[in-house]
Amino acid sequence: MAELRLSHLSKVFAGGVVGVDDVSLAVGEGAFTALVGPSGCGKTTILRLVAGLEEPTDGSVHIGPRDVTWLPPRERDVAMVFQNYALYPHLTVRENIGFPLRVRKIAAPEVARRVRKAAELLEIDALLERKPAQLSGGQRQRAALARAIVREPALFLFDEPLSNLDAQVRAQTRAELVALHRRLGATMLYVTHDQVEAMTMAQSVAVMAKGRVLQEGAPMTLYREPASLAVARFIGSPSINTVTGRTTGTRFEGALSCDARVAAHAEAVLAVRPEHLVLGPAIDASPAIITLVEPLGPESLVRLRLRSGEDLVARVAGEAPWHVGDDVGVRVVPGEGLCFRASDGARLSARRDAP
Amino acid sequence: MTRAEIRAAVLAMLLWAVATVGVGWRTLHSIDHADRSREALFRAHASQGRVPSPAFPENLDAREHAALRQEERPLVVHDPHGVEIITAPVKDTEDWEIIGAVGLYSRWRERAAPVAAPAMVALLAALVLLLGARSVASAGPRAAGVGALALFGAAAAVTALQLRFAAVSLAPREAAPASLERLALPPPSLAFAALVLALLAVAGALAVAAVHWHARQAGRRARVRETIGAWLFIAPSLGHLLLFTIAPVAFLFWISVHNWDLLASDHPFVGLAHFREIAADPLFWRALRNGLVYALYVPVTMVAALAAALVLDQPLRGIKVLRVVVFLPYVASTVAIALVWQWLLHRDFGLLNAALTALHLPRVDWLGNPATALPALMLVSAWGQLGYMMVVYLAGLQAIPAALLEAARLDGADAWQRFRLVVWPMLRPVSTYLLLTGIIWSFHGFTLVYVMTEGGPSHATDVLVYRIYQTAWEFRRFDVAAAMSVVLCLLLLVLTALQWRTVKGEPADA
Repeated sequence: MAELRLSHLSKVFAGGVVGVDDVSLAVGEGAFTALVGPSGCGKTTILRLVAGLEEPTDGSVHIGPRDVTWLPPRERDVAMVFQNYALYPHLTVRENIGFPLRVRKIAAPEVARRVRKAAELLEIDALLERKPAQLSGGQRQRAALARAIVREPALFLFDEPLSNLDAQVRAQTRAELVALHRRLGATMLYVTHDQVEAMTMAQSVAVMAKGRVLQEGAPMTLYREPASLAVARFIGSPSINTVTGRTTGTRFEGALSCDARVAAHAEAVLAVRPEHLVLGPAIDASPAIITLVEPLGPESLVRLRLRSGEDLVARVAGEAPWHVGDDVGVRVVPGEGLCFRASDGARLSARRDAP
Repeated sequence: MTRAEIRAAVLAMLLWAVATVGVGWRTLHSIDHADRSREALFRAHASQGRVPSPAFPENLDAREHAALRQEERPLVVHDPHGVEIITAPVKDTEDWEIIGAVGLYSRWRERAAPVAAPAMVALLAALVLLLGARSVASAGPRAAGVGALALFGAAAAVTALQLRFAAVSLAPREAAPASLERLALPPPSLAFAALVLALLAVAGALAVAAVHWHARQAGRRARVRETIGAWLFIAPSLGHLLLFTIAPVAFLFWISVHNWDLLASDHPFVGLAHFREIAADPLFWRALRNGLVYALYVPVTMVAALAAALVLDQPLRGIKVLRVVVFLPYVASTVAIALVWQWLLHRDFGLLNAALTALHLPRVDWLGNPATALPALMLVSAWGQLGYMMVVYLAGLQAIPAALLEAARLDGADAWQRFRLVVWPMLRPVSTYLLLTGIIWSFHGFTLVYVMTEGGPSHATDVLVYRIYQTAWEFRRFDVAAAMSVVLCLLLLVLTALQWRTVKGEPADA
C-alpha cells in the first residue's frame, strides 16, 4: 500500500490535443479516490499516465517515495482493471489470475495458493477452469479483479470497471468493491463518468473537465459546497436547479429570490438542490405551474415551470399533493441557495454565510 | 391449399406465360425479320443487279427511301423491334439508276428494350392484379409475384442476348456489296430459339412451382422453408462444383483402376495394378520424399513472415509502403518469378554467383546441382509466399486487442513474455491455418518446378504433381498418372481433415 502523488502532470498528444492540463492530486495511503467527469475530460489519460501506458509531457508521478514518472508499467507495482476486463481469452480463469505471478517467476505452489485465496475472496473459486468466453459479464469482472489483487500491488487503478455490466449487477458490484477496498486497505484510483458511482464508492472525489481538476473533496463536500457552477451541475441527480439574476449585497433577485450575503453587486446564477425548494401557497413566493409529478415511493420529484419560464425540479417527501397544471409558489430553503458569478461560474457565497 | 395460395399460383403462372409468350413472340419475329432481309440479299445476288422487284427492307419511310436513292451509300434502317439493318443501294445493269436496296447486315441496336411492348403491358396489368390480390392474401401471392417477376427478368435478359447473337450472325460487318457471296451465312436457327424458350418455360414452371410450394410451407414449417432456401442459394455453386470438380474427380478414380490407353477402344478393369506399379517405382517415392522436404519451406517462411509482421506492425513512418513492398511478390505471376529467379540463380550470369565471386567464394550451379536445386526452389517459394503469410500474420496481430497487451505490461510481462504468453498463443489459429494450407499448397507446387528445373537435375526436384504431369502428358500413361493423383488426393484429404479439426477445436474468443 502506498500513497499516490501527481504533481503538475500534463499530457499533450501528438497533434496538440491537450489530454491533461497541469493536474496535481494526491491519493492517501489506503484511500479510495474517484476521478469523475464527462467523457474526454482526461480522467482515463491520468489513469494511463499513472499506469505507465502513456508518457507525460510534463510533471511527475510518485507512488510512495518512488518517482515512477519514467518507469515502465511493470516496475510501478500497480494493477489495473480495464473497462472490458482484458482477460486473456486463451487462458483459463486460473491461468489469468496467476498470470502476473507467473511472469514474475514465482514458484508454482505459491502461485496456486495465492490464486486460490484471490478466487475465494471474490467467490469465483468454482469457475477457475473456465475460459473467459464461458463467463458472464459479472464473473469476468470478478476474474479481472482477482487478477489485480493477486499480486498485492501498491496501487489499484480502475478504468470504468462497471460500465459494461447491467444495472442490477452494477449496483451489487459497487457495494462489493467498497467492501473489498475496506478489506484490503488498498490505495485505489477509480475512473468513472457516472457521478453516482463516484459519490457512493469513493472517500474523495475529483471532478474533472477539459483536462483539469475542478474540485476535489469528500463526496458530501462537493455536493454541498461546490466551488464552481460546473461542479454543482455535475454532482447530484437530478441536477441542481439554476436561475439567473443579480446579487444586491444581501439578497439574490431573479426568477427566484433568497437571502444571499454577497459583497458584490453582480450578475449571478443561483443554484438550488431539488430538496431545497419548498412548494406551497403562492404568497411571498415565486409563482409556478406543475408540469410533471414523478412518484418514487419514499419521495416524489415535482417538475415545475416558473412564471418567468425557467424549468425547475423539486424533491418532496412522500406523495406530492399536487397534480399537473396546479399553481404553486416556490421558495428556497433559507441558507441553501448557492450563488455563482455569471461570467465564469465561480462561487460567490459560502452557504453558511447567509443569515 | 387456401384460396389465396391458389390465386398466388395462378397469378404466377399467368405472369410467367405472359413473359414467355411476349419475349418468345419477340424473338421469333426478329429472326423472321432477319431471314426476310437475307432473302432480299439472295435475290439481289442471283440477278446480279437486275433486281426484278424493288427489294427495299420493310418499314422504310418516305424520307429514308429518298435518302437511299440520293446518297448511293449504305443507310441504317431502324427496325421498331431493336434491330438495325444496314442497306446498300442496288443499281440497274447500266449502273445508272438505283432500283432498290439490299440489307448488308443487321445488328442489335444498343439500348433497345429487350422486351416487346405487348409483353410489358401485360406484365403491368398482371402486377396491378397482383397488388389487388395482395390486399386480401398474406405473404403467399407476394412471394409468387416476386418469383414470377424475377423469372420474367431472366427470360427477357436471355432473349435479349439471344437476339443479339441472331442479329449479328446474319452477316459479318466487313461484308461489302461487291462480294455478296460472303453474306450468305446459315440463318439463325429457329430450332435453337425454340429450344431456349422451351427450356425457359420448363425452368419457369418449375420455379413457379417452387415459389408456390415455398409460400405454402411458409406458415407451417419454418425449418423446411429455411432448408429449401439454403439449398436454392447454394444450388448454382453446387452445380458448378458437381460438374467441374466432383465429376472429374470421380472420373479420375475410375481411370485409376482401368487400363486407359488412348489408342485402344476398350478400357478393361485392372484393379489396383497401377497402384502396385507406382509403389514399385522408385521415382514415385523420390517425388514423394522431395515433396515432403519441399514442404519444409512453409514453417521456415512462417517464422520469417511472423518476424516481418511484428516489425511491420509498428507505427512507423512509411510503414505502409514497406508492407506493400513485402507483399508484392505474392501478387506477381509465378512464371515471372520463376524466370527472374532462374536468372538470379544462373551459374554464369546470375546475381547470386556474382556476389559469391566478389567475395572470392566458388560459384555454385544452384539449379544444376542436385544438392542445391531443391533448396533453391524452396528459397524461391519462400520469397514468393513471405508477403502473403506476413499479411495474414499482420491481420492476426492487429486483431489482438490493445488492452490485452497493456494488461500484460501492467501484469509485469516483459516484451518476450508478452510475445510468448499472449501474442503467440492468440496467433495460434492463424499459425495453424498458415501451416496446413501452406503444406497443402506446397504439394500442389508445379509451376516453379516446370519452369525452372523440369524435375531435374537427376530427379532432385521431381515433386508429385510434376511426376503426374510427366507420366500423363509425356509418357501418355494416363491411368498410372490417375493412380498417382488418387494418392496425392488422399494425402491432401488427410491434411485437410487435420486442418478442419484444428479449426473446429479452437474455442470461441471472448
